[in-house]
Amino acid sequence: MMTAPLIELRDVSKDYRGVYAVRNVNFTLNKGEIHALLGENGAGKSTLTKMIAGVTQPSDGQILLDGKPVSFQRPAEALQNGIAMVFQETSLVPSMTVAQNLYLGDEKLFNRLRGLYIAAQQFLSSLNFNVDPWANVSTLGAAQKQLVEIARAVRQKSRVIIFDEPTATLTPEEKHYFFSLVDRLRKDGVSIVFISHALEEALAISDRITILRDGELVASDVTSKFDRDGIIRAMVGRSLSNELYGRKRSDADARPPGARVLSVENLSMGSMVRNTSFSIYAGQVTGLFGLIGSGRTETAKIIAGVIKRNIFHGGELRFGERSVRYREPRPAMRDGIVYVTEDRKAEGFFETMSIAENIQMGLLASGLQSSNVVTQTEAREVTAEWSKLLQIRAINPNARIVELSGGNQQKVVIAKSLVQKPKLVIFDEPTRGVDVGAIAEIHKVIQDLADSGLAVMVISSYLPEIMVLSDRILVYRMGRVVEEFTPGRATEEKIMYAAVH
Amino acid sequence: MSASQTERRQGGFKLTQENIVFFIALLLFIGFSVLLPGFFDTSNLLSLVQNVAILGILGIGMGIVVIGRGIDLAMVSTMALSTAWTVALINRGFGTAEAIGLGLAFAAAVGIIMGVLVAYVEIPAIFATLAMSTVIYGFGRLALVDLDVIYLPDNAIWLRSISNSFLGVPLPVIWFSVLAIVAYLFLRFTKWGRYFYAIGDNRAAARITGIPVRPMTVIQYLISSMIAFGAGLITASLLASVNIRVAQSTMVYDVILVVVLGGIGLSGGKGGVRNILVGTILIGILLNGMTILDMPFTMQNIVKGTVLLIAIIVDSLANPRDEQTAQQGDI
Repeated sequence: MMTAPLIELRDVSKDYRGVYAVRNVNFTLNKGEIHALLGENGAGKSTLTKMIAGVTQPSDGQILLDGKPVSFQRPAEALQNGIAMVFQETSLVPSMTVAQNLYLGDEKLFNRLRGLYIAAQQFLSSLNFNVDPWANVSTLGAAQKQLVEIARAVRQKSRVIIFDEPTATLTPEEKHYFFSLVDRLRKDGVSIVFISHALEEALAISDRITILRDGELVASDVTSKFDRDGIIRAMVGRSLSNELYGRKRSDADARPPGARVLSVENLSMGSMVRNTSFSIYAGQVTGLFGLIGSGRTETAKIIAGVIKRNIFHGGELRFGERSVRYREPRPAMRDGIVYVTEDRKAEGFFETMSIAENIQMGLLASGLQSSNVVTQTEAREVTAEWSKLLQIRAINPNARIVELSGGNQQKVVIAKSLVQKPKLVIFDEPTRGVDVGAIAEIHKVIQDLADSGLAVMVISSYLPEIMVLSDRILVYRMGRVVEEFTPGRATEEKIMYAAVH
Repeated sequence: MSASQTERRQGGFKLTQENIVFFIALLLFIGFSVLLPGFFDTSNLLSLVQNVAILGILGIGMGIVVIGRGIDLAMVSTMALSTAWTVALINRGFGTAEAIGLGLAFAAAVGIIMGVLVAYVEIPAIFATLAMSTVIYGFGRLALVDLDVIYLPDNAIWLRSISNSFLGVPLPVIWFSVLAIVAYLFLRFTKWGRYFYAIGDNRAAARITGIPVRPMTVIQYLISSMIAFGAGLITASLLASVNIRVAQSTMVYDVILVVVLGGIGLSGGKGGVRNILVGTILIGILLNGMTILDMPFTMQNIVKGTVLLIAIIVDSLANPRDEQTAQQGDI
């Protein structure tokens, strides 16, 4: 390179309790380039960029900005130095309007809202983003929130903008506007780091591509040196990943449906679930694909009694032969429906408790424990059994759950549900924030459950995961099932098309 | 995991708030014993324990609610009014057992109402119980008792006897010990006890796991109200009277002090009976020492408040919030 890089990372590592999320990575970002960062789930892309943006600090190595070593302790420090990040999970204030969010932190002492709205309106139109600046952020869908996030980063006139999977929730039209915006920013000399799962996007818009695998850098070069197959080879690399998502299922692989366990008829809840109907059968995995905000999670939560469907015109839910309306998760659990949450920290595990206590809590709630006296012996036995089945790795069963890696935490949450001897298991994003090794193990658990005759429902927004797990694929859009595929008939393009249009 | 962390775990000793408070209590105890004449004296030590027994009993009730991430600000009102009614009924000629039964029923009703308000109506515990505290006091003063101070009649021998001594140990101390053991066993070895921890730790997760969160919340307040009634009976027996104006005093904050000082975090899911004992002992030693020193009441409040602040500061320095384990999700 002729010019010195704007940002340089030298041998940067980050470990969480000895588990490396990023290991000895060298990364450079030049002025006015679009640098795509690719890799599988859990490859360390988000962690790497969070270190640049000051959200986390590297445990080892150096970050150089304009050739000078820097160490940002807070995102605000990075922002002062012109580095902005657009996060995967939105970080807007939901009770404020779009305009207020755009100018958050830059208000004058006496904030004149009218001027703010006019400025926001002009700014959003200049970006071609169709978002109402007067709207409350809490009323926006996931895609519009993402647009507001992007607009906020652009408005701050940063030298570097990091986009963490910005296009996942956008429609094709919005994507088009986003890419032209990115192009414009590049011409203005802004450097962009672009994290994506969509390889075509990266190939189309980036100048350089860096690929991470399991926290390590495997390839970094100008985009013209890559093609789609080359990228996939670099991303997947070892056989484990091939095993994970490489296999294409045919109709012959699919398990035949057993008895109908659950039938959902005309189910409705508020504006999230609208007159959806489908059935779940025993002995097979039903995959539920949909973009974020399409109502998949809400449907699952209604089935498991976590939230309630509408009283009027709410439709019907038949579990086995009975028509059911659960107002609490407890009766649903007692009937044999368990829900493994997508957000394990908020509603999955008990963080002050050990692994054993967490699993035992599931057992206690199910009423299947051996005696009325709660004993450590039983907790240890149950934990030993499930640790072996799910390969939970910890120093000892009394380790606190917060000390575990994401994969092991997820396994504990799964064990806590499976110990209740369910008939229908609903997995909501079972491998979110889970390392590659654990993904394979969790997938195996899911397959084994279906083989043993249970009805399994898997919700995922990661297409390869749905493709490799499901015996039937249901596609969700706008609060209802819009299309059903058999594994042989499904392709990524077809499913995505159904989910978007 | 780094070497120092392993060491700390294997050593089996951690600088928790409980241990810190215990050390402060020990230091105070040794200091007072050496410096204050008459402190290290059997009769003084017994009166020390007896004086904090009531606080300790209330602390156990409060502790159970706080573990479930609630708070019962009406405990002292419940205690005062339910026992005042019991004593008033005895004065009106009811049998002791009937009067106690009615008083207990009143306390239980109060607990259930508060529990329903918190669990089903979903009012934050701090507001529901604060409002209930005033309602109980007003209702009791209006409908249950005529006077602010009600004296125990001479013929209530049975009720008087619960604060006697047994083998030289004041009975209130024994009641406190028995309750502490029962509460310990309850919290540790019963399903409901474990549920309380789960609910306090993560209410949403407890619900999804299938724990009956709402009924359990009601039971928490039921237990704390009934324990309050018990504490009230012992107080009535000790003083041979009930002064309902205690409902308007700052006593409930002393109860919270005992719970929080011992290390049961107000965020729920943490701590146990041992923490309450440690907190109670420290407060007992402090109060007793300050009384012997003849310290004015306002000064005592400053000392109590300062001790609580020190315990919390030392705890936050010794156990800083761990950002790395506190966050997870995408790596």
